[in-house]
Amino acid sequence: MELVKKSILTMLVLLLAGTMAFASGQQGSSTGDGDKVKLVFTSWRTEDIERMNRINAEFTKENPNIVIDFQPVKDTEYDAQLKQSLAAGVGADIIFLRSYDSGYQIYKTDSLMELNDLLPELKDFPSAAVAAWATPEMTSYAIPAAGVVHGVYYRKSIFEKYNLDVPATWDEFMAVCETLKAGGETVFAQGTKDNWMLYEVMYSGLGANFYGGEEARQALMNKEVRFTDDNFVLAMEKMKELQPYFPERFEGIDYVTMQEIFGTGNAAMFMGGSWEIGIFEDLGGLEDVGYFAPPLAKKGDTLQYCFHVDAGIGFNKNTKHPEELKTYMKWLASSEYAQLYMNELPGFFSYTPGSYTLNNDLAKQMQSYVAESVPTVRTVWEKLSAGSPSGNELVGEAIQKMYANELTPEEACKFVNDQLSWYY
Amino acid sequence: MLQAQKKHARFLFMFIFPAFIIYTVFMLLPILNSMKYSLYSGDGLIPDTFVGLDNYVKLFTEERYYSKFWNALGNNIKFFLIVTFIQNILGFFMAVFVTRSFKGNRFMRKLSFLPTTLSVLVVGFIFKLILNPYYGVFDKVLEAVGLGEHIIPWLGDPRSALIVVSIAVSWQFFGESVLFYSSGIDGIDESIMEAARIDGANIWHEIIHIILPSVLPIVGIVTILIFIGDFTQFDIIYAMTGFRGDPGYSTDLMGSLFYRTAFATTERGGWGTGMGATVATMMFLIVTLGVGTLLAFFNKKKEEMTK
Repeated sequence: MELVKKSILTMLVLLLAGTMAFASGQQGSSTGDGDKVKLVFTSWRTEDIERMNRINAEFTKENPNIVIDFQPVKDTEYDAQLKQSLAAGVGADIIFLRSYDSGYQIYKTDSLMELNDLLPELKDFPSAAVAAWATPEMTSYAIPAAGVVHGVYYRKSIFEKYNLDVPATWDEFMAVCETLKAGGETVFAQGTKDNWMLYEVMYSGLGANFYGGEEARQALMNKEVRFTDDNFVLAMEKMKELQPYFPERFEGIDYVTMQEIFGTGNAAMFMGGSWEIGIFEDLGGLEDVGYFAPPLAKKGDTLQYCFHVDAGIGFNKNTKHPEELKTYMKWLASSEYAQLYMNELPGFFSYTPGSYTLNNDLAKQMQSYVAESVPTVRTVWEKLSAGSPSGNELVGEAIQKMYANELTPEEACKFVNDQLSWYY
Repeated sequence: MLQAQKKHARFLFMFIFPAFIIYTVFMLLPILNSMKYSLYSGDGLIPDTFVGLDNYVKLFTEERYYSKFWNALGNNIKFFLIVTFIQNILGFFMAVFVTRSFKGNRFMRKLSFLPTTLSVLVVGFIFKLILNPYYGVFDKVLEAVGLGEHIIPWLGDPRSALIVVSIAVSWQFFGESVLFYSSGIDGIDESIMEAARIDGANIWHEIIHIILPSVLPIVGIVTILIFIGDFTQFDIIYAMTGFRGDPGYSTDLMGSLFYRTAFATTERGGWGTGMGATVATMMFLIVTLGVGTLLAFFNKKKEEMTK
């Protein structure tokens, strides 16, 4: 019996020691070495580590006692990890937040600082961007940090070969497609295996000029119109018109393959987002890549430009270093950071007021359309994706089914509208 | 006698106790905790409003939930049937083949087990590359042998995607069944086989009258292992068709459904932690009931045979 007791005791001591070691290991990560304070910055952009480190090095130059530790988590795991770490009280100090409901869900866990008093300069930011990370009562919980645009990339050399000009209207766009197809080129690098692209880039980006952009989006959100209305169906029909120009067996082509096909010069065009500049740069031959905005329905229309609110930066309420965090927060809201950010990450556009010089040609082209356009965001991102099934998923799924010839454009719109019944 | 038994029990207890502690802390408590969460609702990772069986009612009465649930369960059953067919039947014949005495049979045995040692994710990504419609080698081979017109976007077509994924999983764990069956066949007394051969039995007689009856208990074990593996399968879906089970949820299994609903944001198909825990509890029930049924079935078979 004595032996049993002893072994139980040993087991318990070991277990206790184990858990304590584990717990102290967790805490150790947020305290810095020496008298330096380390702030942990998390994001879903694992590809940005080097670039963010260079940006943050500039900050540390000015504030030698603060070191920023950039620790991103893979995109698809980010939200779950963030929720878990905040709930366990070991969350990062600086947190990338997705726009609208996803970010708001994090705010509702009562783990983010409220910024209205801390950062009065937020009132000079574009109000639509601020609203994407604010409560309905306009309490801000994140700095609007990055926006992305959607449009069409093209290979300059292929366009030159056929003497093609950059199309401005849909008819011109279709004519370009026809010429390229007749010449035996792969017109688009598009595939439909990953359906989020179909909604986020194609429908929200290229469809906006047909469904009526921001005005229509607002009306849809305010329940004044439905997704089955003519304008939304028209945009869906326009998407269907692109199908003959997709590569063979496009149903099996996933996102990464699309980027490879276009990035290696094997397709003339790619409907994509501004965040892809870096990827095409890495694949080489960026000087051969051009960009044009979504073609207009007809000449003289105003471009409805999908300038999506992509990332905001929030701050952990339970940080161990509130003063240092505030210093960094001020810097993140400054034009100095914005300029550094846009230099390092072309294709991500800062919302911080100020005048900037862009050093990347593609980013310049993307921005050149802004002045004469009406900005909008992805069609059903706000409010309509706050419940299950989300508008985001439904539109992607509907378009995927439409390209698989399971649904007509009209049925695709009905498919979305019917399943959005939780919203109405 | 009694004293000895007592001593024996104490001795056994000492062996079981450490494992029991570990099992309780890392398995039993989380499972019970997850079941508890299925009775709660709320934002964030730890739902805080007690709602009783409301989540279960929602899961089975609201179309937006039950359509996905039944779809995943249906896919999972199909997935299980295909994998069972390949691993059990083809695995059995492969085992018969490698236990014959011919030159290189040892090597064949080792070779068939090799894929099992790979990570499921690696297998998934490799299959995805092979089947890529743009640069994948599979389509190129089909074209080269003149079967070009039969090529379809394997992973992009809802009719073929689930079958392809099942084949990938079966290919990987095929060796496991071969291992189980061949060790069963090795256990058969050689003199019985010899006697049969002298009596003029051919290979089919041998299989039906000698090999099959002696490995029948192994069929049960293999089937149960496949059942547990398949109804908790997640990795292969994540690697090959994404956690939505694309195209159009046609490869969505219970594992991917649970991952998505519990951990993704609402925008990406999440249902909140409470509903996610409800799906997890249903998975637990399905696996427990399934294993119980299979065990009872195979035990009965075994009894019938030993009579």
